[in-house]
Amino acid sequence: MIEFSIWTILQYLAQGLGWTLCLSLLAFVLGGAVGGGILLARIATYPLLRVFARGYIEFFQGTPLLMQLFMVFFGLSLLGRDVSPWVAAGFSLTLYSAAFLAEIWRGCVEAVDRGQWEAAASLAMSRWEQLRHVILPQALRHAVTPTVGFSVQIVKGTAVTSIIGMTELTKTGSILANATLQPFTIFGMVGLGYFLLCYPLSRLAHYLERKLNVLAAH
Amino acid sequence: MAYQFDFSGIWEYRAELAAGVVHTLALTGVGTVFGLLVGVVGGAVRGWRVEPYNRLCGLYVELIRNTPFLVQLFFIFFGLPALGVHLNEWVAAALAMIINLGAYTTEIVRAGVQATPRGQMEAGLSLAMSRRQVFWHVVLPPALGRVWPALCSQIVIVMLGSSVCSQISAEELTFAASYIQSRNFRAFETYIVTAVLYLLLAIVLRHLLNRLGARLTNRDVAKP
Amino acid sequence: MNPRLRFLVSAALCCGLSFSAAAHADALANIKKAGVLRVAVPQDFPPFGSVGADLKPQGYDIDVAAMLARDLGVKLALTPVTSANRVPFLTTGKVDLVISSLGKNPEREKVLDFSVAYAPFYNGVFGPAGASVANVAALAGKTIAVTRGSVEDLELSKVAPASAVIKRFEDNNSTVSAYYSGQVQLIATGNVVAAALKKRDTQKSLETKFLIKDSPCFIGINKNEPQLLARVNAAVASARKSGELNRISLRWLNTPLPAAF
Repeated sequence: MIEFSIWTILQYLAQGLGWTLCLSLLAFVLGGAVGGGILLARIATYPLLRVFARGYIEFFQGTPLLMQLFMVFFGLSLLGRDVSPWVAAGFSLTLYSAAFLAEIWRGCVEAVDRGQWEAAASLAMSRWEQLRHVILPQALRHAVTPTVGFSVQIVKGTAVTSIIGMTELTKTGSILANATLQPFTIFGMVGLGYFLLCYPLSRLAHYLERKLNVLAAH
Repeated sequence: MAYQFDFSGIWEYRAELAAGVVHTLALTGVGTVFGLLVGVVGGAVRGWRVEPYNRLCGLYVELIRNTPFLVQLFFIFFGLPALGVHLNEWVAAALAMIINLGAYTTEIVRAGVQATPRGQMEAGLSLAMSRRQVFWHVVLPPALGRVWPALCSQIVIVMLGSSVCSQISAEELTFAASYIQSRNFRAFETYIVTAVLYLLLAIVLRHLLNRLGARLTNRDVAKP
Repeated sequence: MNPRLRFLVSAALCCGLSFSAAAHADALANIKKAGVLRVAVPQDFPPFGSVGADLKPQGYDIDVAAMLARDLGVKLALTPVTSANRVPFLTTGKVDLVISSLGKNPEREKVLDFSVAYAPFYNGVFGPAGASVANVAALAGKTIAVTRGSVEDLELSKVAPASAVIKRFEDNNSTVSAYYSGQVQLIATGNVVAAALKKRDTQKSLETKFLIKDSPCFIGINKNEPQLLARVNAAVASARKSGELNRISLRWLNTPLPAAF
């Protein structure tokens, strides 16, 4: 077996960390966009849309991400669409994040007092205008903290993409652990890598929570 | 691709799947009950800033929430023996789940406790209740009611997250799936069946928790 | 059209197209046309497949893949896989062959075709110096770690007494860690793997208790690809005759191929 210097190990882990970061950003941004759509469907007046959104959220929140990834990557192949692991991983993580973000945001919309809808309606605003000008700005303030908080879950969630061949942080770690037979050192460093990505996000969520609470109190 | 789906092979392994479902539920049950206990205590400490435990709890919460569950599990199962602590795979898995859910619950309960109006607490104290009594009877019930939906989501997440316990040879539902597909190579069929089982578990669990939550809130309303 | 309906219709169309395309497909012709042989190989199972200092796979299985690509006159593209995803990679056509120290059983043969044997595999039960475990019957009441789905898992599951506790881990690394951290008493693995471990660790001894069985490994090929299967079998046979397979065995297993090969 080959000897790895600590420097080489760190280099490879940094590479894996980079992929983890890319995947997380992709999932967060695209997941946010799709999640917004699902949110609108979830609170729509049209019942079929609501049922669809509920089913969507139930499915993606109720099955392990690992199985979702597996189905997308290998399932699309069965349907004759050969996609790269990147596309499959990005696509699955997007669908997964969208479900959670939509549900988080729904809670925030519902936390806005019903009277606000009624007041807006009495000003002859259309439903879209009520949402756009009255409800969403208020819901946004509740939404910032849990949304940033969920981004931590996305970062950690990217770990399962190794099942379809992505060499992100966890996968790089397990390959190295096998090659060096030093699982504790390597997995310690992997844990530290996630902590470096996630802790700033958690602090940010905390900071925003306090700041927005102070604003709300005024 | 000319892949032929064949689910008949899965039926032979129904005993393994059933055992997997039972074990996943058992792990989730133990993890939930004790995780909630840890979280309620931690949340009270955090919410009321009981020093020095407040800082310790803060460290615990940040450490657990910002690292993957798998890393925590590996540390308990493979790392602790170096310190002379040998836990078998079930104890290690349950402990990891308790620690994990405990950290999230601590934060959720803290938020609920902090949202309790100060006046309610003062009213309790003025009735000559101890701080502990105030917490159990005045602060906690409405705080739990407030954060119950968030707790339910977290419990379902922990149930699905228990799937990585298969990596330390705990024979829960994902273990059953991996075991079956390593024998018959029918990964698609196995994973589809397993995903459906997880979905059913999640739906039933959420339903039960919602009913429990409604009961908790009702009891509080009924109390004078 | 309703978006969901549109998705269903397009999915159904894709399905129909791919099935009709598959009816005319011949994997061997496709490999030659593309000029690439795509092979799934392990990267966590030394000496059959592990990573070198550049994190690229190397080992017995990789050398066999390279030999087959040379034989076909095409380039080689390796896909590192784990035991959880190696078969789906093959059945969904993302790779042409799986060379990943596969053992065969009747259930697996319903899903894949297997080539002639391309590698010997001696597996056994290993443990600390003090433990007296002379044969399979002595495993009663003992805990044994094994990598799920490996050749030794299949063999051990067949022969071990009911009271033996077999703990199946996700990958080789976890299996080995379980032994060295003292979470199990014994470990079942390949003798070459055990030999490599013995050299490395000084804190805990690892001795051969008994050999379960020498069960060869096979190359996995999709069903209904008789041309490819025949070609792979012919290539393996000629590599045996020419001594090339023996050289691969000497290089990675430190021993010549057994006489049966």
